[in-house]
Amino acid sequence: MSEYILEMRNISKSFAGVQALKDVSIRCKPGQVYGLVGENGAGKSTLMKILAGAYKADAGEIIYKGQRREGASAGDVIDSGISIIYQELALVPRMSVAENIFLGREPQRAFGILDLKSLHERAAKLTARLGISMDTSLPVSELTVAQRQLVEIAKALSQNADLIVMDEPSAILAGSELDQLFRIISSLIAQGVTIIYISHRLDEVFRIADEVTVLKDGELVETRPIDELDRQTLVKLMVGRPLDEIFPQTDHEQGELVLVAENVSTDTILEGASLELYKGEILGIAGMVGSGRTELARALFGADPLTSGTVSLVGEEGALWTTPAKAIESGLVLVPEDRKSHGLFTSLSVRVNITLPILSRLTRFGIMQSQAERAIVEAARDRLSIVMASSDQEAQYLSGGNQQKVVLAKWLETDPAVVILDEPTRGVDVGAKFEIYRLMRQLNDRGIAIVMISSELPEVIGMSDRILVMNNGRIVGEVAREEATEAGIIELATMAGAGAN
Amino acid sequence: MNLSARLFGGLSASQRLFLRRYGPIFAVYGFIIVLFIIGATQSERFLTVRNLTNVARQSAFLGIVALGQMLVILTAGIDLSIGSLVKLSILVSAIVMNGETNNQGAAIVATLGLGLLVGLIHGFLVNEVKIAPFIVTLASLGLLRGISLSISTSPVGSASRPFIMFYVQKIGPIPVIALIFALLLVLTALLLRYTAFGKYLYAIGGNIEVAHLSGVPVKLTRYGVYAICSISASITGLLWLSRMGVGDPAIGDGVELQAITAVIIGGTSLFGGRGTVIGTLGGVLLLGITANLLVMLGVNQFVQGLIQGIIIVAAVALYKQEGD
Repeated sequence: MSEYILEMRNISKSFAGVQALKDVSIRCKPGQVYGLVGENGAGKSTLMKILAGAYKADAGEIIYKGQRREGASAGDVIDSGISIIYQELALVPRMSVAENIFLGREPQRAFGILDLKSLHERAAKLTARLGISMDTSLPVSELTVAQRQLVEIAKALSQNADLIVMDEPSAILAGSELDQLFRIISSLIAQGVTIIYISHRLDEVFRIADEVTVLKDGELVETRPIDELDRQTLVKLMVGRPLDEIFPQTDHEQGELVLVAENVSTDTILEGASLELYKGEILGIAGMVGSGRTELARALFGADPLTSGTVSLVGEEGALWTTPAKAIESGLVLVPEDRKSHGLFTSLSVRVNITLPILSRLTRFGIMQSQAERAIVEAARDRLSIVMASSDQEAQYLSGGNQQKVVLAKWLETDPAVVILDEPTRGVDVGAKFEIYRLMRQLNDRGIAIVMISSELPEVIGMSDRILVMNNGRIVGEVAREEATEAGIIELATMAGAGAN
Repeated sequence: MNLSARLFGGLSASQRLFLRRYGPIFAVYGFIIVLFIIGATQSERFLTVRNLTNVARQSAFLGIVALGQMLVILTAGIDLSIGSLVKLSILVSAIVMNGETNNQGAAIVATLGLGLLVGLIHGFLVNEVKIAPFIVTLASLGLLRGISLSISTSPVGSASRPFIMFYVQKIGPIPVIALIFALLLVLTALLLRYTAFGKYLYAIGGNIEVAHLSGVPVKLTRYGVYAICSISASITGLLWLSRMGVGDPAIGDGVELQAITAVIIGGTSLFGGRGTVIGTLGGVLLLGITANLLVMLGVNQFVQGLIQGIIIVAAVALYKQEGD
């Protein structure tokens, strides 16, 4: 047997004439962590889906454990010891932890009858091996996102995986949860498991990978040991051009007050939040997943009714809103975290997506003014450099970065005074991130105030003028940009009991 | 925070989960008890062995197809064709049996075989041709009905003497037909709880992509579930033959909607992945008892539809409180 557990040689794949992968080769030794990086659309996921048996390569071969693999189904691949943890967590919410872990491979007696006792025992053993305690009979819907991630890993372990692919495992984790993930990864490596780690967060790649493979536009750019790389070089390899300044800076004086929230609570974890927002600034909101950041955004936007406190725009006396529609009318918009389910009509055209909130302005006697509509869409495309075939293209066919720009364009047309961005660059590649940052600065220059919620601390620190840290439903501190460090923010965000009193 | 979370605030996490999940089903049974009380106090005939036997038999007819329907809906599918298949089944069984005791076995095999065939065709179209279950079974609703009515628009064939007697047979006070339903009910519950096939139904309805990537035999499971559903319609066709004695082509219209209604009232999500046998039984009984009671009380039968509509909305509103 060769020293490699996996070799994928000269893999090519195209979809309906579009070349998604061209002549890509990777190989992995046991007990190592391989970083797989590249912009969205670079072909990382396609490559991994071919490995998983979900797609069939047009050309090339896969040699796994010294054997050439022929036409394997998803089930065969799992049986052979390859587990893939997908970006969109692959769990059935209604089913219990144990049932999810063993889905498709339930311990059975004769006639397909389940051995429930062994199911739960084995699930408990696995969670213990991961060093976590969890009631394996609870349905997955009752778990936090971080716990669900651990269930995924337990599932991979239950498959006796020798090779685990993690597709953006950290996109939803922060702080201690991330440390836990890395601890688990190191113990897996020590047991001889090979990990392929896909991530947009380069810091993590540097932290755990032994070797990094960069893909771009479906082609292999380079594979290098991590010691021979630095951050700048890696970004350059990924994007194909150097990014001297990832975070565009502006120097501006503090503008006038635009929004005041006082002692805001809703029927969620959010309690007693107060903040002030000034014209032309970016106010960053940091905190763990579940710390109340999204709830704060929803409260400001009128999406959840307030149980106490007030939110008001300065200069609009008594302009209190209780519904999103009224908030938008008052000049406040929210770009939600989950683009696909809350921000975008994926099956509708880009044009409809952009003009939906302002249709009343674009109609005369109920009839659409298509000329005006087209002009607006074209202006938005130019201003935000949205890459699309035509404005009739369905939003689902745009890349993640371009989808995000469409969502932004949609709200900018309403001419807002305040824009709340919830995880604006989640799942967006480095190049598109940069454009979104630039766009945010452009909004600032127009005097628009931005509230930005983000799990990526470098982004929060790099972009925000001020940072509010949330913990357990409360705002526990404010940090100025000059004083902000990742360690300092994490400490505030994870301080036990900080939100409780 | 939703309504039920507020109501059950003082309980432990798992108790809350249990109540949130099963609370609405308790409500359905609570409503059934209320109907019983109304029936017992308002009508002399309601709480008689004769009437309750009747209710049990009628519930069995709806219940068997509702079970099949529930399994399909658990996978986020639907079967609109069962009414038409009940109709074709009663015709086929009556014609094959043709009044002869000797033909009984052949009639049963032919009818169940018909169900199996229809189910496998549904599975094929859903799995391999990738047509939405709604469309596939909407087509066979029309198709099977068309075949039935082109066979005959008036009653044809007949049941054998013992086969007719089967309908009125009882063990103790309980009609055999109700016992058959009870047996199928228990089998379905065991299937869902203790077999991999049962778990796969929930997994496919919960997230078909996840199921597929986890190595669940998605296609095989769907072939199976559509076959079971169609066979449940064939069984019901046979029971109708036992009841009518002839192959009456008027039987079966609208059965699919009644079954779907019972399943929904029982708390099964039309989007799949959620549902229980005990809930479906509640839905079946609620519909059966409501219909019976309205007749007992001499209420205009058209009011029935109205009341059913209200029950559906009320039930689904309750389930919505679960909020996940």
